[in-house]
Amino acid sequence: MEVLLEVEPELEEAELLQEVDEEEEEEEEEDEGLRELRELEETLSRVRIAPSAPHLLVQKAEGDQSEWPVSFRQNSTREKLLLAMADNFRCQYAHLYPDRKPLLLCPVNECGVQKFVSTTLRPTLLPYPELYHWQGCASFVSDFLSLEPLDPPVDPPHKLRSPTWVLRTQRGTCFEFSTLLCSLLLGAGYNAYCVSGYAVKQMCLLNQSRQECPLLKPQVKEELEEQKQDVRKYSVKPPRDLQSSFEHRQEEKRQEDTRIALLSKQQEAQRLQEERERPPLDPLLGLRVHCWVLVLSGNREVPENFFIDPLAGHSYPTTSEKFLGIESIWNHQNYWVNMQDCRFGCAEMTYDLADPVKWEYLLCGSNQSTLLIPDMKKQQEAEKEEDEETEEPKVFEMPPSWVSKIHISQEDMESRCPGGTKLIQYRAATVEKIAPYLLKDGLVTRLTTYDDLECTQPNTVREWYKHRHDHLDERELKKATNVTVEHFRPGRSYALKCHRYVTLVPETERQMDFYSHARADGLASRVETPSEITETFIDRPDFLHYRHVVYGKRELGEMPNNPEQVQRPIQKVVERFHRDRSKAASEDVAEREFLLSEDRIQVTYHKEEDRIIPAWRNFIKPHDAGDSQNANAFTPQMASIFQVDPFKKPCKNLFLYKTLMALMKEEENVLMRIKDSEKEVRAILAARQQEESAVELQISIYNTARNEKARCHREALECLAEDELLRKEEKELDVLAPFLARLGDPESLTQQEALQLRTDCLAELKQRLIDRANLIQARFEEETQELQQKQQWYQKNQLAMTKDDEDEYLAYCSNAMFRINILKLRLSRHKDKAPQKYLALDEKLRRDPRLAHHLW
Amino acid sequence: MNRLFDTAAPSVIDEKMLRKAVQEQGPQGQAGRLAKEEGIQYNEVIQLCLELRNILKIGHLWEFTSLTKLQLNNNIIEKIQGLEKLTNLVWLDLSFNNIEVIEGLDSLVKLQNLSLFNNRISVIENMDALGNLQIVSVGNNLISQLDNVIYLRKFKELHTLNLAGNPICQEENYKIFVAAYLSDLVYLDYRLLDEQTREKACVEYQYALEEMRLNELQEQKEIEAQKITEQELQLHKDAFVELLNGPHLFDSMFADDADAPKLACLPGVTTLLESYKTQLVALCMQMFEAGLTQHARRQNEVESFFSCSREAEADNQQRAAQIAADFERSRRQVMAEMQKATDTKLLEAQASKYSDEISQLCDTLMTLELQLVDQLEDVIKDFERNISDLVGGFTEYVQGIFAQCRDLENHHHEKLLEIAVATLDRVAKNELEEDLPDDVRMLFVDKDTLINAVSASHDTHLLKIDNREDELMMRINSWMSALIKSIQDEEVKRNRKRISEIHNYVDFVKDQLEEILLEEHQ
Repeated sequence: MEVLLEVEPELEEAELLQEVDEEEEEEEEEDEGLRELRELEETLSRVRIAPSAPHLLVQKAEGDQSEWPVSFRQNSTREKLLLAMADNFRCQYAHLYPDRKPLLLCPVNECGVQKFVSTTLRPTLLPYPELYHWQGCASFVSDFLSLEPLDPPVDPPHKLRSPTWVLRTQRGTCFEFSTLLCSLLLGAGYNAYCVSGYAVKQMCLLNQSRQECPLLKPQVKEELEEQKQDVRKYSVKPPRDLQSSFEHRQEEKRQEDTRIALLSKQQEAQRLQEERERPPLDPLLGLRVHCWVLVLSGNREVPENFFIDPLAGHSYPTTSEKFLGIESIWNHQNYWVNMQDCRFGCAEMTYDLADPVKWEYLLCGSNQSTLLIPDMKKQQEAEKEEDEETEEPKVFEMPPSWVSKIHISQEDMESRCPGGTKLIQYRAATVEKIAPYLLKDGLVTRLTTYDDLECTQPNTVREWYKHRHDHLDERELKKATNVTVEHFRPGRSYALKCHRYVTLVPETERQMDFYSHARADGLASRVETPSEITETFIDRPDFLHYRHVVYGKRELGEMPNNPEQVQRPIQKVVERFHRDRSKAASEDVAEREFLLSEDRIQVTYHKEEDRIIPAWRNFIKPHDAGDSQNANAFTPQMASIFQVDPFKKPCKNLFLYKTLMALMKEEENVLMRIKDSEKEVRAILAARQQEESAVELQISIYNTARNEKARCHREALECLAEDELLRKEEKELDVLAPFLARLGDPESLTQQEALQLRTDCLAELKQRLIDRANLIQARFEEETQELQQKQQWYQKNQLAMTKDDEDEYLAYCSNAMFRINILKLRLSRHKDKAPQKYLALDEKLRRDPRLAHHLW
Repeated sequence: MNRLFDTAAPSVIDEKMLRKAVQEQGPQGQAGRLAKEEGIQYNEVIQLCLELRNILKIGHLWEFTSLTKLQLNNNIIEKIQGLEKLTNLVWLDLSFNNIEVIEGLDSLVKLQNLSLFNNRISVIENMDALGNLQIVSVGNNLISQLDNVIYLRKFKELHTLNLAGNPICQEENYKIFVAAYLSDLVYLDYRLLDEQTREKACVEYQYALEEMRLNELQEQKEIEAQKITEQELQLHKDAFVELLNGPHLFDSMFADDADAPKLACLPGVTTLLESYKTQLVALCMQMFEAGLTQHARRQNEVESFFSCSREAEADNQQRAAQIAADFERSRRQVMAEMQKATDTKLLEAQASKYSDEISQLCDTLMTLELQLVDQLEDVIKDFERNISDLVGGFTEYVQGIFAQCRDLENHHHEKLLEIAVATLDRVAKNELEEDLPDDVRMLFVDKDTLINAVSASHDTHLLKIDNREDELMMRINSWMSALIKSIQDEEVKRNRKRISEIHNYVDFVKDQLEEILLEEHQ
């Protein structure tokens, strides 16, 4: 249906275009030059109202227009000229290629004013480090905005709102997504273009449910295959193989057959699976309009051209089959129309924009330099300037963007998604993105994978956290086995790194990994089962690297109610050591086994370099070895030893006895250490439980918005300063203090006293004001008198005076006049101010808390 | 010396005293009983204390070879002696004696802690061998020269020094002097050397110290340079072409030739000698270069052989060790079971099964070993062939060059003879313009003398060249045969060791089995 509807306007357009055909042809001949263009504009004004260009109709503006800046509401002359040129271009294009879709050139903005698409791009570099790379920009744009699908999906929109509006409302079509992303990329120095074209349905509608979740993709490990010396000259020949080679071959053949059968089966299954998963055929395939971003190589060390889909924020190679065709591309400087065949997708396209056969440009002259390196550019420009001087005095350049500066606030940057959360559906997986600090437990990302495509049976839940006080970074829960794996950042007590468990109850199955370098005992991991503990160590000075403890059944004889308090009996402890080169091999313990349940100790030593059998000594513990009184405690029968070197003298009994004693002491130490580690496990589990029950989030001291403590501190400081100021003022202006002192500073005042106080206070002020006025008056009079006397004296002696005296007199006069004037001024001001001051004091006294309730 | 009761008669270290001391200071209690039963060997004693025994002379201590700590303080010893065999000594206490000279400590290279407190020593000396010294106490002695401290500079690990009670302590700048010259010292005279003293010392003795340091540095550099030249020479020797990288051969040819300087005086011989020398040196250089490259190739070959054979051995060893370890584990289980078992018949059945297993283990291990022997034999043969090819190639090349040398010499000889004869003629005709020295003139008495002299010179030269060639050939061949022999010997030794190891283990296991059976029968 939609397709049919779509055809009609095109037909109409074609008809109408034929009508204006002739005129346009004329115009084509006499293009160039401002005057002609203006004429053209007039001529084409008829076209503008034609129904063939419905998008040119002035739309009703949204909201209150006055809140937008002038540039949003009006077009400058240059812009008007540009619009005219664009319209000319459009007409010519429609005439030459009547079967191609109309171009998106001059959509209206949010104020209903026509704007050229290139001027909607506003290259901006924002002060956020993550927006300095295309990955960061793309993921921000895709996270921050929510999509408004195009309606109808096969036409470019009539309206292209500014990035300002888009950022404010956090909504936009794919064209607005691209405009914002392209602005950011251009600002970051990428050679980026908006692309208007056609793409597959999943991309246009941001349907990622058939894609693999990017978080699930296995991380690409750098395969460092060790280059072994392949041809060794003297490598020994393998021993002769005495098996029948025929049988061997038969066996191989059989295995190969089964393998092939299995493989084909697998392939079949895979094919079926794919078939099942394949989306139903899209009736609008190839017609769905989409807008994305093209980044050309050259700038910012981009090695190859690539596309970015702004909706999902992913990059694609330019050969990707998801992009079905390109109509036009533009950046902030120019607009190009694709002249290449897109019937088989974009794979074969080239992006040499300087090639006019493949790309038809709108503005001439401004595109050539875009691909050149700065030096060349300058040179080129210089040349161009010369050219311009000689041939063409003026090349029309793209007017500056009408969009106001792009601004993204810190909060927006942090919350990213609209409302702080976003749910993305992937193939058999969902990803939830949550702004930091939004949830109490610090969750920022949750990835749920499912066993089935309908997403009903969750398989694994992986959660990523941020700013957790307990340093939890990631938690993974396998639904099938109910096993939880928690990863921690460094900095926890006991240097816990990773914890895998089913429940937080001690003595159950679990594995804890540690940051071994941060621990004094070098513990790297501890694996527990109900009856065993295995610990591994790294880089210990005593070369211990492995300890294995086997427990027996707990005897519940004494305290059957409290099984926790009874120690599990240890049956066996095995410790293994690395080779200590400073010792002789036959004296360097490799493994010692404390068989507590059998009262035996077995020690195996390291093998010497060229031996195959290690020495060992096995002891049976004497029952009361600590008691030195018991003289017969140790007998040679208690030790059984094997010496590798038959020529070495056998060990003395004294030596064996000493060894045994040392081992028994070690045994005690080992048991202590085991107890310590049990305690540690319990402590960690308790801490985890406590932390989980009350999650705290860390707030950086640099985070001024969130750091409650710092804010309180700051506010408290401000408050304090204010108080201080107030108190100071009050202190200065406590006019009642002397009068109260006169009354002997009473706790409270009686009505009469209060009235008296007030009258006194006012009287005092009155007196002071009068005194002051009198003082000024007196000095004024004195000054005047003196001047008069001087004048009289001067007039008397005028004739007998020298020149110097006269000068002195004149100087005096001017000084005196100045002083008198000042005094006069002061007096008048005082007279003006005095009543005011009086009233002010009166007012203040009325307000004074000590007098207030007596006076009113 | 300042002892109150100096009246007791001086005693001597004798068997009785030592026996008693060892017993008293040896292990006590349970361990003591065991020790007594077995007897204590003097060479196993680790510590010995012979203090307050009025000993006059050290002696009879040579049996205590593993002694690490020896205390001889508070005696009346006058001379350090009889300690030469105690090479493992770490701690030696000779305080409160009457020693006057430090001596007799040269063999105690492991010594770390030396106490000579309260003696009569006036000079610190004779301790050059004690490079590990960390703590030295020579307090309460008669040291009166500050320069003695400088002697202690050579002990790089020395951190504690006691000089208190010596005459030098009276000197004004004693402390600063010590701090300046012993910059690594931490404690001096029971006290921590503080930072201030150190700084002061640095300032005060800056120039003296710098000079000293410079000298030491220079010495070190010289030693290093010498070492480098030695290494180079060694490398050339290993390549069998030492001293061929220059005119050494030429010089040696003429050094033992008495007539050569006389003949050199003849007109035209100088230029002849010049060209002869350059040609010979060029040949020598060729030989030298070839020698070095060939040496590198041989080295490479040897290394690759050793790494491969070691790898094979390690691989084999690992497999055998795995088998042995597995067997040992199962053996322990079986033994435990057998010890518990009561039924004799069952036990016997088990025992027979077990002994089968033992012999099977023996077979497996032996097979593995034989396999390795076979493999290594092949490889060694290959190696032998290759290395003798290499050596053969090199010797042929060298022989060719030596032949060229000989040709050169012959040529030179002819030329020389020509000149000599011509000169003789001229002398005979009295046409010689040049003035010849008298002894040279003596040669020209008659033709025979002259020719004899020239051929004698020629013979000497040829002899030298031959000698050099013979030396090279002999050495390279002996090197090769020694290498091959050592490889074969090593292999035989390894094989015997492994076989004896296997047998040792198997015998042990069998013995254990028999023991159990015996017990059961009883």
